[in-house]
Amino acid sequence: MLALIYFIILAVIALGAAVCVFLSRHPLYGALSLVTSMVALAGIYGLIGSPFLGVVQIMVYAGAIMMLVTFVIMVLNGARDSKTPMFDKVSFFVIPAVLVLAGLVGFALVGAPLAFDETALRGSVALTSRTLFDVAQTGPGYFMLFEVLGLLLLSAMVAAVLLAKKRLGSVQSENTEEGH
Amino acid sequence: MTNLPLWLIPLFPLVATILLGTIAVVSSGGKKGAAEGIVGALAVLFPAMSFAVVAILAYGMPEAGIRETLCNWIDIPLFKADIGFMFDGLSRIMLLFVTGIGTLITMYSIGYMHGDRGFARFFAYINLFLFSMIVLVLSDNLLLTFLGWEGVGLCSYLLIGFWNKDVNNCKAANKAFIVNRVGDIGFLLGMLCLVTVGGSGILNYDALTSFIQMIMTAGHVEIVLPVLSLTGLLFFIGCTGKSAQIPLLTWLPDAMAGPTPVSALIHAATMVTSGVYLLARLGSMFAILPVVLDIITVIGMLTAFWAAMAGLFQNDIKKVLAYSTISQLGYMFMAAGVCAFDASIFHVFTHAFFKAALFLGAGAVIHALAGEQDMRKMGGLVKKTPVTACVMIFAFFAIIGFPGFAGFWSKDLILERLFMSGPMGPAFYVIGLFTAVITAVYMGRLIILTFFGEYRGSKESEEHIHEAPACMLLPMVILAFGAIFAGYLWADSIGITFFRDSLAPVVGSAQAYAATMHSAAHVNPMIFAGLGTLAALLGMFIAYKVYGNARVPAAKGSSAPEGRKATWTFFFDYVHKYCGIIPVQVLAWICDVVVDKILQATQWTLGAIATILGDGATVIQVRKVRLQVAFSVAGVAALVLVVLLTGGLI
Amino acid sequence: MELQPIYIQILALAIFALGLMTAISRRNLFFVLMGVELALNAVNLSFIGFSKTLPADMSVTGQIVPLFSIAVAAAEACVGFAMVILLFRKKESVDSDNYSNMKG
Repeated sequence: MLALIYFIILAVIALGAAVCVFLSRHPLYGALSLVTSMVALAGIYGLIGSPFLGVVQIMVYAGAIMMLVTFVIMVLNGARDSKTPMFDKVSFFVIPAVLVLAGLVGFALVGAPLAFDETALRGSVALTSRTLFDVAQTGPGYFMLFEVLGLLLLSAMVAAVLLAKKRLGSVQSENTEEGH
Repeated sequence: MTNLPLWLIPLFPLVATILLGTIAVVSSGGKKGAAEGIVGALAVLFPAMSFAVVAILAYGMPEAGIRETLCNWIDIPLFKADIGFMFDGLSRIMLLFVTGIGTLITMYSIGYMHGDRGFARFFAYINLFLFSMIVLVLSDNLLLTFLGWEGVGLCSYLLIGFWNKDVNNCKAANKAFIVNRVGDIGFLLGMLCLVTVGGSGILNYDALTSFIQMIMTAGHVEIVLPVLSLTGLLFFIGCTGKSAQIPLLTWLPDAMAGPTPVSALIHAATMVTSGVYLLARLGSMFAILPVVLDIITVIGMLTAFWAAMAGLFQNDIKKVLAYSTISQLGYMFMAAGVCAFDASIFHVFTHAFFKAALFLGAGAVIHALAGEQDMRKMGGLVKKTPVTACVMIFAFFAIIGFPGFAGFWSKDLILERLFMSGPMGPAFYVIGLFTAVITAVYMGRLIILTFFGEYRGSKESEEHIHEAPACMLLPMVILAFGAIFAGYLWADSIGITFFRDSLAPVVGSAQAYAATMHSAAHVNPMIFAGLGTLAALLGMFIAYKVYGNARVPAAKGSSAPEGRKATWTFFFDYVHKYCGIIPVQVLAWICDVVVDKILQATQWTLGAIATILGDGATVIQVRKVRLQVAFSVAGVAALVLVVLLTGGLI
Repeated sequence: MELQPIYIQILALAIFALGLMTAISRRNLFFVLMGVELALNAVNLSFIGFSKTLPADMSVTGQIVPLFSIAVAAAEACVGFAMVILLFRKKESVDSDNYSNMKG
C-alpha cells in the first residue's frame, strides 16, 4: 500500500514534468522539467527494486546528459528561437496519431495478465556487477558488450569533438567552408 | 643408372619452354628474331635429353613398371589427387616414340622454319607440347592425364594458328579447339562418373584396375555396369574429340593449316593417338563393357572407311595425309573395340613412324616448291628430290601394308584380331580389308601425282625446286628406317612377340578377360598376311591404272574438292552444321527474341510504370521531415490496430 | 490495493507517448532531442517493470539492458548536441523545418 502511494507520487511528478517538457516554450525550462522527470523515474527504479539503475539514472541522465543539454542551450542562446510557434499544422496530425497508438498499445497492455514475481532478484550493485563482469565461458557474455560500449562512447566523443571543432575554430576555416 | 627420377622426363621440355619462351618474348621487340642457331640447339637438346632419360629408364624398367608420387596436388575432404607418375609397358612405348619422334621433328623444324619471324615462339610451343604430351602419358591418374590432355589441346590450338596473320588459320585453330572442347566435356563427365562410382581414389589407374578386378571377382558387374557403360561412353567421346573420330573429326583436316612439322608431330604421330592411349590405359574398364566396345568398333570402322574415301578426293597433299591419319586412327579404334589394345598401340607405334615420315616428306616437297600444296601442280619430283621421294615411297609401302614394312605387321594384326572377335568379326574384317585397298589407292595416287609423270607447275618455279637441307633430311631418313623396321618388334609370322610381351603387364589381363567372352576360330595367320598383301597390291595396281597414265585435270584456283566429292568430304561438317550449329543458332535466336527483346520490353514497361508511380508519390513527399515521421507513427498505429483486431500474431 | 506491474507499464507508455509527441511535433531541435531522451527513459522503465514480473534468474537481463541503453543514450546525446551546434552555426536557427536541403 505504501509502495503504491510512493509510486503514485513519483508517477505524478514524472508525468507532470514530461508534460512540462512537451508544453514549455523555452528550451531551458524544458531541460529542467526533463531533469525532474528523470529524477522521479530514478525514484521509481529504486522503488521497484533496482536501486543501482536508479543511481546510474541520476548520475548519467540527470547529471551528465542534462548538464550537456543545459550547457549547449546556454551556449547557443536557444532563447532566440523561442519566437517560433510551438505547434503548427503538422502537430495536429501528429498528436492524434501518437495518442491513438498509445491508446491501442495501452488497450493491449491492460488485457495482458501481469503480476510481480516474488523471486525476482533485486538489482543491487553486487548483482549487477557480478552479471556484467562474468567472464566465465558459460556466462552471459555482457563483458564483451560492455567493452564495445566503451569503444562506442569513445568514438562518440571523438566524433562530437570533430563535429563541433570546425565551426568554433578560426575565421579562415569558416571562409573555406563558405567557398564550397 | 635406372633409378633416375621420373619427373626428369617432363622437366626438360618444361625448362626448354621457359627458356625459349623468354627468348621469344625478349626478342619479339627487335627487328630480327633471336639467333636461330642457339634457339634451334636449345629446342633439340632438351627433348633429346628427355629421350635419353626415357631410354635409360626403359632399358632398366622392372616388369611391373615404376611408380613415383611427386607431391600432393588436391587434398580436400572427399577429393584427393596426387601428382604421380607411372612408367610401365604402355607409357614406355608411348614415351619412347613421343620423345624420340619429337626430337627428330624438332630437328627437322629447324630447317623448315628457317627464316620465320616466330622461330623461337614456334619451338617454345613445340616444347610445351612435348611437356604436355609427356605428362599425359606418364601420369598415374586420370586427373593429371587430363591436365596433359588439355595442354596438348592448347598447344595444338597455338600451333595450328601459328601463322596468325591469316584469318583462315585462326579459324582452323578455333575450330580444332572448340571441337576438342566437346570431347573434353566427355572426358570430364567420365571422370565425374568414375568418382561417383568409387570415390576420388579410383582416378588412379592402378586403383581403377584393382577396383574392376574386385567387382569382377565379387560378381557385382551387373550393378555398376550401367554407370560404367556411361563412363566408358563419355571417355570414348573424349577420345573421339582428341583422335578425330566420327562425329568429332572435322577439325583434323582443317588443322593442316599449321606448319607441316606440327602436322607431323601433333596431328599425326602423337597427340591424335592419345585417344587410343586412353582406351588402352582404361582397357581393364572397357573390357567389361561389351556395348561400349561394339560402339567403338563400329565408329572406328565407319571412320576408317569414310576418311579413306575422303582421302581419295583431296588435291591438297596435306589434306590427303590428314584423312589418311583419320583413317588409320579408325583402324586403331577398331582394334581397341575388339579389346586388341596391344595391337592398337602397336599400330599407333608404327603409324607414328610412317605417318611422320610421310608428313615430313610432304613438308620437304612443300618446302621445295616454295609453299605449293596442290598435288595437281606437282609431278616428276622424284628426279629433283630423290631422297624425299625415297623416304615417302618407303613410308607409302609401310602405310599400305606392303609385306615386310611396319604397317604390314600392325595392320595385319588388327585385321586378324578383328576377324577373330566374334560373330561379326568376318564382316569387320572385310570392311577393314576393303579400306586397306582404298588406302593403297589414295596413297598411290599421292605418290604418283607428286613424284612421277611430268612436272605440271609453271616453268619458272621448276628451276627453284631443290632438295631439303640435311637437318631436314636426316630425321626423314631415320623415320623412314623406322617405317621399314618398326614392325619387326612384333612380327607374329616370324615369331617375334617382343612388343606384345612388353605391353602384357598393362593390358594383358583385360584382353584375357575379353578373350574368354568369345571362342576364337583359329585360322592360319598366313592367310591374313596373304590377303593383306593382296589388298595392298590390288590398291597399288588400281592407283597405277587410274592415275599412272591419266591426264591430271588442270588445277583451278582452290585445291578444295568440288561437287559430290565435296559432299562426301564435308559430310560431317554438314552434320555438325545441321545437328549442332543450326539448332544452337535457333536457340540463340529464341533466346535473343524471348529473353532479350520480350523480357526487355516487359522490363521497360515495368520501369515506366514505376517511374510514373514514383512521380506521383513525390507529390505527397513534402518538405517536412516531421510529417514523414508522423506518417510512420500513424502507420504503426494502423498496424497495431490490425494486430489487435485479428487477435494478435498467434 | 498493491502496486501492480501494469501501472508501471501504463506510466511508461504515457511518458513514451509524450516523448514521441515532443520529438515529432515540436520544431525546436532541443525539444526534439529531449523528446528522444524522454522516450528512451520510458523504454528503460518498461524494461525494469517487465523484468520484475519474471522469476529469479530471468529477471537479471531486464535490469542489465537499461544500463546499456543509458550508455547508448549518452553517446547519442553527445553526437546529437554536437550536430545541433554545427547546424546552428550553419543556419543560425534551431528550427528543424529550416533544414530541408535533402528534400527530393
